[in-house]
Amino acid sequence: MVTKQDILKIAELAKLYVSPEELDGLTDELNKMIRFADEVATASAGETSFDTVNGLENVFREDVPRPCSGREEILKNAGSTEDGFFLVRRRR
Amino acid sequence: MKTHGTVARLHGMLESRKISCTELTKVYLSAVGRDNAALNAYVKTTPETALETARRVDEKIAAGQPLAPLEGIPMTLKDNISTKGIETTCCSRMLRGYVPIYDATVWKILKGQNAVLLGKTNMDEFAMGSTCENSCFGGAGNPRDPGRVAGGSSGGVAAAVVGNLAAYGLGSDTGGSIREPASFCGAVGFKPTYGAVSRYGLVAFASSFDQIGPIAQSVEDAALVYDAVARRDPMDPTSSGSRGAVSPALGKDVRGLKIGIPKEYFDEIRSDVAQALQKAAGVWRSLGAEFVELSMPSVKLGLPIYYILACAEASSNLGRYDGIRYGYCTPHYADRDEMVCRTRSEGFGREVKRRILLGTYVLSAGYYDAYYKKAQNLRGAVVRTFDRAFGECDLMMTPTVPVTAFKKGRKTEDPVENYQTDICTVPINIAGLPAVSLPCGAGKDGLPVGMQLIGPRFSETALLNAAFQYEQAAGEAPYRVDGMGVRL
Repeated sequence: MVTKQDILKIAELAKLYVSPEELDGLTDELNKMIRFADEVATASAGETSFDTVNGLENVFREDVPRPCSGREEILKNAGSTEDGFFLVRRRR
Repeated sequence: MKTHGTVARLHGMLESRKISCTELTKVYLSAVGRDNAALNAYVKTTPETALETARRVDEKIAAGQPLAPLEGIPMTLKDNISTKGIETTCCSRMLRGYVPIYDATVWKILKGQNAVLLGKTNMDEFAMGSTCENSCFGGAGNPRDPGRVAGGSSGGVAAAVVGNLAAYGLGSDTGGSIREPASFCGAVGFKPTYGAVSRYGLVAFASSFDQIGPIAQSVEDAALVYDAVARRDPMDPTSSGSRGAVSPALGKDVRGLKIGIPKEYFDEIRSDVAQALQKAAGVWRSLGAEFVELSMPSVKLGLPIYYILACAEASSNLGRYDGIRYGYCTPHYADRDEMVCRTRSEGFGREVKRRILLGTYVLSAGYYDAYYKKAQNLRGAVVRTFDRAFGECDLMMTPTVPVTAFKKGRKTEDPVENYQTDICTVPINIAGLPAVSLPCGAGKDGLPVGMQLIGPRFSETALLNAAFQYEQAAGEAPYRVDGMGVRL
């Protein structure tokens, strides 16, 4: 059971604002989700971690230089830039 | 052997010069212009790119050069697959106006084969949802009944394919997002083994579950598309590629094939959906397949395991949206922390926020062991349950979804109720298995029912061969709505 205070704390960690109008609804919805997740918390599990049975191997690349995107291209999607850098204004 | 393949038919028309690629592309583009308003399948069309590609294909045809199987075939991509120079929004306010500076590996491959991209298709925001209604562009309609949802999250791809607005499309499947809309719209939706198709350039939702795959009008088409895109990719650290081409192997007899029926999957499905599957079982028997009943109680925990782990991964993956490097940025703020928080609060929709919050909660100090770590261990147990079950059968058959397509606007603020739609599909992503959904008759409402076939890891060839044999015997392919979209 999470309280409204808990939701505000989680939202802070997740860098989200929860408006006073959203708070009741979100607390209720999150509690439903957590009760559902509790099926996992109360189930008995072995110690077979997924990592050991997933049959996957890491794919590594040769550590050699290769072409990459240029500065101009990387900055294309930024809201504001200055002198080839991302620009973050203190306030707007 | 009769072919039901739309891709092969169009390929034949191009090679025999019955139609030029430019004409074919124009036919599709004008059908999209005419019929998309009713379906809302496309959120962006790319006529210039399409016609430019078509011109190149026509030059090849004029020069008498042979065409690759997908060359010149009009298709679509879900809007979370990065396309260099073409806006890729994930149907989120957060990414409106975002233009990738690189191609996803799957698109790079298909572009190299001169696939004709008609546009990008609708989806639930960041692939989170089962109706396509969590899209910032509004949901996609179901071509079988426009008052119903197309399903999700790859609803736009399924609607475009079944509505003849694309020959095929690529979607992504994290918990059922290819198979569920394919089931609702009545198409073939194939989720390959985790790692068979590169995830590079797929906008990340839950990286240990995400997998790209085709939605098509026949199993044959799905196999052709899979063969084209399944490659080991150094740009994806979990990529392993394909274990051999599937298409040339289609048509093998399935006599003696053992199909497992995990009874837990049938507990909560609607009776008319169960009846459609029973009828399908008759087709399998006529093909000489046998059934084995299985009990897999651990899959019952599939939904909570999935939602804990997928939300945890999403909360981490979606941490990158801070308004600085790309995407939406709030216009007013007093300090940098407020800029990030406001950007995220205004840019993400409600379902995405809920999942980020749950993910943050299960990863936070004090809850990590009880939820996240426990779910990881249970995930291991589910993998082992499937491994054991495949000792008793070659494939498994279940419904894809316990119901048929919902009416639009079935609003519920109970997220858990919405998640029940995914009950049959998420265990497959948990275990990283390949699974295909193909139509098997209709429910009492006349809407398509999907049959899900599940195979062991990297059993793509056997799995799609079996689906192909069923499709041949049932004789209902190609799966599309005649009288809508392109008529050729």
